Amino acid sequence: MSLTLVAILGIIALFVALFFLGMPVGFAMAIVGFCGFGYVVSFKAAVNMVGTDLWSTFSRYGLTVIPLFIFMGYIAFHSGIAEKLYNAAYKWFGHWRGGLAIATIGADELFAAICGSNTATAATMGTVALPQMKKYNYDTRLSSGTVVTGGTLGTVMPPSVVLIIIGLQTEQSIIKLFLGGILPAILLGSLFVLTIVVLCRIYPNLGPAGPKTSFKEKLKSLTGVVEALVIFVLVIGGLYAGIFTPTEAGAVGVFFTLLVTVTTRRLSWNGLLRSMTDTLKISCMVFVLVAGAIIFGRFLARTRLPFMVADFVVGLPVSPFIILAFVLLVYLIGGCFIDSLGFLVLTIPIFFPLGKALGFDPIWYAILLTMVTTMGAITPPVGVNIYVVKALAPEIPLGTIFGSVSYFLLACVLCIVILIIFPEIVLLIPSLVH
Amino acid sequence: MAFLEKINSVLNKILMGIAGLFLVAMIVMTCANIFLRLTWVPLSGTFELMGYFGAVAMAFALGFTQMHRGHVAVDIVVSRFSKRTRRTLNGVNYFVCMVFFALAAWQITCYGLTLLGTGEVTETLRIVYYPFTFAVALGCGVLSLVFLTDFLRSVLRVKAGGK
Repeated sequence: MSLTLVAILGIIALFVALFFLGMPVGFAMAIVGFCGFGYVVSFKAAVNMVGTDLWSTFSRYGLTVIPLFIFMGYIAFHSGIAEKLYNAAYKWFGHWRGGLAIATIGADELFAAICGSNTATAATMGTVALPQMKKYNYDTRLSSGTVVTGGTLGTVMPPSVVLIIIGLQTEQSIIKLFLGGILPAILLGSLFVLTIVVLCRIYPNLGPAGPKTSFKEKLKSLTGVVEALVIFVLVIGGLYAGIFTPTEAGAVGVFFTLLVTVTTRRLSWNGLLRSMTDTLKISCMVFVLVAGAIIFGRFLARTRLPFMVADFVVGLPVSPFIILAFVLLVYLIGGCFIDSLGFLVLTIPIFFPLGKALGFDPIWYAILLTMVTTMGAITPPVGVNIYVVKALAPEIPLGTIFGSVSYFLLACVLCIVILIIFPEIVLLIPSLVH
Repeated sequence: MAFLEKINSVLNKILMGIAGLFLVAMIVMTCANIFLRLTWVPLSGTFELMGYFGAVAMAFALGFTQMHRGHVAVDIVVSRFSKRTRRTLNGVNYFVCMVFFALAAWQITCYGLTLLGTGEVTETLRIVYYPFTFAVALGCGVLSLVFLTDFLRSVLRVKAGGK
């Protein structure tokens, strides 16, 4: 049997394990990779590889950044920092039509700057913003859609777990990826705000204007933003200035988030324990995904399929941007059926070499993949953020949430198109780092 | 079966507690290193210990995460099957994973024994690091035990006709 055929059969076996056995993505990749490697090389070599790869992945210094940034996000999640952020955004924008929804996006943007998870961002802002929007008679089509999509900013705005994983898997600088995500996250947030403004202009009943607040109240509310901004500036500024490695930035982030939340008595002992348990569970899931992807990647590399695909696609007489559009479409469709992080880890060994072969800037390409993968978190039937909001507001029908998200998907697509036309938006800040 | 479930529950709670301690140690050690580096001299060996502590923290969380179904899975097709088919497929899934992680635990233990035999030490601190490999092997072994329990539960349920 030719190596290409073995690789294709391996991919089919992977999809059978994923879809028909319901095997977790990380385990499925590891097991299929192990069997494939065993077939192509030898059983003994495959057993050796599994032991060595599991040990080296789990003990890799670079991966220790993951639990630290996740811990930082969960402390922020359990401590109520988001309430202050939301309150400040509400005081500034609440009196506009759709102002509470705009405030939600603003608070999402700030919360994402200290939390690297889209589900944690959606859950946090959902807890804070949904009751407020209900109180001011916001249509559930607007309120649920805003919370679901606002959560995606957590993936693009640094520190982001997805960007860390892409960085580790593709050996790109995590610092440059973080810096590359800042402007696209701001652009995406601005397009979400624009969507809300346009929707509320066409359908004024979607988001009635809230009560006005005085300038003094507005200024006072900013104190709630200072803590989050200080933590963000410390972490990202320290990385930018070269004072910290990403792992150190994560530890400093945890330390200062803990310091702020403990001194302001917003984090209970139970909250801390829950943050720790959630961190260990999520980080462990990510480690298994990475280890599985490494083992599966070794099998694919042995068959040389990723390189053959890259060579074949590069040789096609079409524009690289048509191929890029195809790759993004694959991610969009894949993200609808497989958890976005799982799908990303699964496909990076094939699609990243392809992007490099096509001559795309790796940071720009990684940010585009992150953006489109993020859309998977808000598209049916697997969109995890949708289920987070459904769990928080069971009275809102799932169909309403799906429908409300569609408006914001247009903003996501527009953002990706803008980033393709103007790659400088991604590359400007990373280019300042030497 | 109940005895096995009890063992799993207690063992994984203990391991999670230890994993939490290692997570805290990672934060304390890194912050101390930054502080000392900026004020005096860096804390030597932080780099290598962080990797090993991370390995223990993550390996000890493996079983607990599986017990709480924390690993990303795709149930879009499986959820459409009948209960009996689903349990049978789950049984196959658990059995395959159990064998795989038992194999991984055994292989990492062999690696640890080699390190123990050769007395290999870390580059900076010059300390033996085989205990960390045994910890990762233990984490994989406990995950295999969790899968064994899940597998037996599936088999018993399928035999009982889905009751």
